[in-house]
Amino acid sequence: MRRIWILGAAAAVLSGTAWLVAQETTRPTFRVKVDMVVLNFNVTDNKGRFVNGLKPSDFRILEDGIVQKVNTFAEGNKTPLQIQEDGSAKPLVVNAEDRAKGPAVDTFVGTNVFVLFDTSNYMYRGFVYASDAIADFIRGLDRADSVAVYTFSRNLSRAAGLAKEHGEAIIGLRKAVAGDDAALYNALLLTLRDASKVPGRKVVIVFSNGPDNASMVAPDDVRAVAEDEGIPIYVISTNDASKDPVSSSVFKRISTRTGGQVYFAKTWQKQVEAFESIRESLGNSYTVTYYPQQNPNDGFRKISVEIVGDIAKKYRVRARPGYRPQSGF
Amino acid sequence: MRKVLVLFLTFVIGGCFGQTLPEQVRKLEAEGQVSDARALVTRAVQDKPDDPAAIAALAEFLDRHGDAACRTYYEKLLTLGGSAQKSAAARRLVLLDLMAGEEAAAQKHLAAYRAAGGPGDWKIPEKTSGPIGPQTSVVEIPGPMRSFSRMAALSPDLSPDDALGALARNVVTNGYQAASSSEALDQTEYLKLVVKYLSQARELTKLAGEARAIKVPACESPETGELLKVLGYRMRGGCGAEVVLETVNASRAFLTIDSGFPLGELEQALRTNRPFSYDYAPTKVTVLYTPDYWVTGKDKEKGDFLDTFLSDPSLCRLYLALSKLDPHTAEEMRKAIPVQRIKAFAHVLDFFGAMLTLKDGKVAVPGGQRSAGVWAELAGAPPDQGVAFLEKLISRDDGWVASYYDSLIRIQGPALDYLTEPNRMKKHYTALRGRITSPGPARPVFRSNTELMLLTTRLRMDPNGKPHIPGGLDVWKKLFVEHPHGKYDGKLTKAAAGWKDGDELIEALFALCRKAVENEPLKMFMAFTDLDRRRATPLAPATVDRLIKDYRVYGAQYPIFAEASAVSDKTILQYLDAAQGVTQIRDQALRADTAGTFQGLVAMWQVFVRQNSIPTAEAEAALAELITPFGKLRSNRELFDAGRGGVATLLKFTKSAANANPHDRMLDLLAGNSGSPDLEAHQQLVREMIRIYEIQRLPSLKLLFDFADHLDALAKGEKMNAALVNRLASRLNDIQVPRSAMTTIEKNSMAFGYWTERHIDQQRKLNLRAMVEKAGADPEKLKDVKATLAPVLRDSLVGLAYVHYAPPGAQILQTNPIFIRSHDFLGLQGSVQTWRQTEVFGTGWPSSAGGRLVGSLANLAYALAEAEQNFLIPTREQALIWGDLVPQMIVMAKVPRFWNVKPVQVQWVGLHMRQGESLLSEAMVDAKLREQVMQSLDRRAPPARVRRIDTLLAGGRFKEALDQTTPAELFLLSTDLNSSRAGKDPINDAIARLAENHRQEVSVEAISRAFGTPKPTLANSYHPELLNLRTFPTLMGYSSRIMAESWESNLLYYAALANQLGMHPSQLNVAVPEWTQKTVESIFATHLEDWPALLRSLRLVGENARQQARQGAPAGALE
Repeated sequence: MRRIWILGAAAAVLSGTAWLVAQETTRPTFRVKVDMVVLNFNVTDNKGRFVNGLKPSDFRILEDGIVQKVNTFAEGNKTPLQIQEDGSAKPLVVNAEDRAKGPAVDTFVGTNVFVLFDTSNYMYRGFVYASDAIADFIRGLDRADSVAVYTFSRNLSRAAGLAKEHGEAIIGLRKAVAGDDAALYNALLLTLRDASKVPGRKVVIVFSNGPDNASMVAPDDVRAVAEDEGIPIYVISTNDASKDPVSSSVFKRISTRTGGQVYFAKTWQKQVEAFESIRESLGNSYTVTYYPQQNPNDGFRKISVEIVGDIAKKYRVRARPGYRPQSGF
Repeated sequence: MRKVLVLFLTFVIGGCFGQTLPEQVRKLEAEGQVSDARALVTRAVQDKPDDPAAIAALAEFLDRHGDAACRTYYEKLLTLGGSAQKSAAARRLVLLDLMAGEEAAAQKHLAAYRAAGGPGDWKIPEKTSGPIGPQTSVVEIPGPMRSFSRMAALSPDLSPDDALGALARNVVTNGYQAASSSEALDQTEYLKLVVKYLSQARELTKLAGEARAIKVPACESPETGELLKVLGYRMRGGCGAEVVLETVNASRAFLTIDSGFPLGELEQALRTNRPFSYDYAPTKVTVLYTPDYWVTGKDKEKGDFLDTFLSDPSLCRLYLALSKLDPHTAEEMRKAIPVQRIKAFAHVLDFFGAMLTLKDGKVAVPGGQRSAGVWAELAGAPPDQGVAFLEKLISRDDGWVASYYDSLIRIQGPALDYLTEPNRMKKHYTALRGRITSPGPARPVFRSNTELMLLTTRLRMDPNGKPHIPGGLDVWKKLFVEHPHGKYDGKLTKAAAGWKDGDELIEALFALCRKAVENEPLKMFMAFTDLDRRRATPLAPATVDRLIKDYRVYGAQYPIFAEASAVSDKTILQYLDAAQGVTQIRDQALRADTAGTFQGLVAMWQVFVRQNSIPTAEAEAALAELITPFGKLRSNRELFDAGRGGVATLLKFTKSAANANPHDRMLDLLAGNSGSPDLEAHQQLVREMIRIYEIQRLPSLKLLFDFADHLDALAKGEKMNAALVNRLASRLNDIQVPRSAMTTIEKNSMAFGYWTERHIDQQRKLNLRAMVEKAGADPEKLKDVKATLAPVLRDSLVGLAYVHYAPPGAQILQTNPIFIRSHDFLGLQGSVQTWRQTEVFGTGWPSSAGGRLVGSLANLAYALAEAEQNFLIPTREQALIWGDLVPQMIVMAKVPRFWNVKPVQVQWVGLHMRQGESLLSEAMVDAKLREQVMQSLDRRAPPARVRRIDTLLAGGRFKEALDQTTPAELFLLSTDLNSSRAGKDPINDAIARLAENHRQEVSVEAISRAFGTPKPTLANSYHPELLNLRTFPTLMGYSSRIMAESWESNLLYYAALANQLGMHPSQLNVAVPEWTQKTVESIFATHLEDWPALLRSLRLVGENARQQARQGAPAGALE
């Protein structure tokens, strides 16, 4: 009798398992997912000077022409503002419950800066000066900014991981190893993948003289990733734009389409100026976040940032043109 | 809850049926329920803490799974067990203590073992330290080893004993280049930097002074300026928080950073005005013999040892050669041959000296006593004259005799017997040597006897002791006489007409091995030998004749037949006819689409056969049915039907349900055996494939076929299903334009990607809805609509093959949404690549739309791995070597699947690896066993390494000896000596029990199938198998792939790791690619043959996995 009971129990367990199997074999569905969009942009006047002090109500964000409801608004490294239902703004405060759910308050304070330094054979001559210029740039970053230093030749190397401690980044930078082929766009892609995992505002700064003899991915495919992730790419090229027209045009395209900028800075002085300009751009940018409104478009969604009112004519906005919503299970 | 119930049931049912605790535990292990087994045995000890049987069961269980805690329980048995148990426990403890490096404990347990009746001749050796070898001395390199390693491109993990050998290799291979203006050699940039670094390091050494540390007390101290001057930097801004270091001397500053001087820390110290201190003691590295041996009187005046060493590439070559030699042999040669003479033949010794050994003053030549006379004749001195023979061997015929010797000394068995028959040896050597010996085989930078080594290593012997001649002699005679691909050798052409025996063909193949150009007949011979190897009936002469004729165009396809040995001659010929039919299609777009569809279907058939989803007996019928429609196909209408029919064939032969969703079913089959109980691992693989498939915006087979069916229905008067039409149309609209910066004129002039871009463009332009509406109910027009989907179906089928082989990470497939559609089946204009090897094309070309794959799908797994390898991120500064090794490692991780592997097979490998380690440990205390161990290792490892292991074991240095032994060698050591270990310890008992109860599953063939690796170059097949070869050295040309393919340790190591972690074999399907990626990212080797670096990386990954398991991370881990 006892044995019968045991066998019965075993059969019950087995049938339970079979039921579980049936449940689990359902094919997972791959569908478009839209998370919160983080949008950085700069506003300049007609002389190219940065314009500060604009308020959330001065902007209208549209996606494929659909007006978006802004969630948070921040200027430079100031504390972000939470935009209320009535359009008013108040400093973002995250309670303990919210903190557990999502990114911390300081997620949108400061920028996560990923420096991508070309240490391939092509940079052999300018390697040390480039290293000095990057070190100066890191020293000059706002305390609220986090910085990572990646180097690349044939492969990517994470010389210093993302951290608020800028000294660590400089130490990592100063230990870069030079030499080998250049796979710039492969490395840029991997840097963007790392950056995309970090919440908050982020930029990638590429320091290279341009040639690439080992990448498998096309620059514009990499640019598309940056666009979709909302990560501006700034490029400092140590080459003359005229010397390598292919790289120059690629640099221009990937930076402007992602909301960044390109600098052709052959001399050390020009490189320092380029970094200064990037720093200024970071400090004078606006960041808004929003959850997109219903939109049937699963392809490229065009973003436009409009300035409302009379000031619209005087100012220009530089932002990424749009993004493709991500897909997943 | 489930676990408790299983345990309960096991315990109760097991008890009811009278099973002992160890039997219950073993049963659970055999079923793959290792954690349950562990819980059961642990609970038994908890319930009866003083029960010797329970304690022994737990100790042995832990021992079988490599858990160090087993020592605790063996220790308990010393007090609680009976006399036999005490003796066995003490014996095991001695070995385990030695493995753990605990000599004192080993001594204590040895005493206990002796007291329990153990043998009196076991002796724990005195632990030695320092370099291994007969005579070494020490030289100093200025500065820390880490800095020198960075500058000299040496592995950061290299021991000081091996540093000079590795440096010598780098100087030989990378240090010098031909001068443009003279015959002299110029230093390369690499070597110039090393020399400059040494100069800077000497200046820093002076600054470091007696204290051997660079010290800067404060920012304003005079030492700051002196140091910065040497480093090439200066301070900007005054001392304090504002101070910044900036370059003042670019050349020096470069060395400072590139050598890893802690400049960042110095800057921080100056900014905070804290003292800076950096140890700057010179590094002591071992030099073979004494510096005086290497540096003669004149050279001594030039500078110190290192300067002379770096300035003389031939000296480096000699150093490298002697460091690779068995130390005893090297020492004898050093004593007997003047350095200047031996230096003249350093290049020969470097390439072909590694296998030379002297024993008792004699050389044990290949073929033994029977062949000694011929060797005496060939070399010019008899082998029993020892060094005199070796001297002649390396100096004769520009290195050809040495090369011949090297190719024969590496082999064993019937092939060795055949090749060392004295008369044959002479003939073979005469053919190989030719009339003019220059240039010798050791002239190039890499050894050039690839073909020779392949011929001797892979020669297949028939049971009659003769070499297997695929297709018979006549087809080979015809090849040499009629030479359809161009004449190979005038003399051989004449001779071939009179060939009467296979020996003459082999002789001709030896003759062709001396040629610098590709040895096509040998490649064909090897390919067809491999085709025959697993076939029940060898290929018919007519088939081989056809294969020979078609080799240049279709040769890359032949491994497909090698993998499925059941494919008949008829089907092989049918395949070639079909391929030829495809090649003859004039319309380029249709040809590419037909080739893609055909190859996509065949690629899936290959996977299904490999994974047993199509039973071996039905592989032939499935392939025949699959390819039949392609022979005379001439339109897109026919192509679509052929593609769809092919899918139906695959579904039929994989016993799929009639109503199965074809796409989902294909994904299930590609992931592996969907009948596996491990749904989680299976789903993980399927999800990853779907993800990539979706990113590539490929329509599913189901959608395409539903659409096609709907078109048929429309012809019968049904209404249009707008939703279905729109679904497919929107999928095609998603296809993105190739993102290329080139103008159309540029693209056309380069003829690159023209047809693939047209292929993509045509799909984008399809307006399906309009086409359907326009066609109305006209059957012919609707058939035309269906025909437009043929290129789309091609991509979907090719896409399934791509996603199956997608490497870990798959960055390209994730980033370039038209990567699969861009596959170029035509190739560059003027070249016909439709059936050739898959190649990576277009890397490093920013103006193109990214790299793509060109050619057939025959080598897709390797090409994808090759394209992906540069996306792996080294965990430290940079990877020093990767090249061909990494793609092969990825192929090893992606091609084999483990759904059909049984838990007992994982255990089998784990136990043998454990026994291998135990044997090394026991060899430390038992001199007789050590001899046997060395004899076993001698069959796979080079003599120098075997002697090293021997010396290390004799010196009580177990861990170092283990580090020198590859997992494959360890596994084979155990299988070699297994029978002699019967009844000696619980590991051997467990092996014996598995052999008895699971004979089929643990047979050599089954284990080879379970944990073997694909060897497309070495064995002309992706069929995973273990060949148990010596690891090949670096060879020229394609042969660096051969070297990587001869490395069989990874999967064996991972299997043993899975056994330790208690993982079910199915989990290896997910774990192996992950572990492989981590292993690759942690390799820091100095050169291609730096296997210890790969071993370190493997063991690091293993240790991390064990640590994670201890923390309870992965499923199935030890708790």
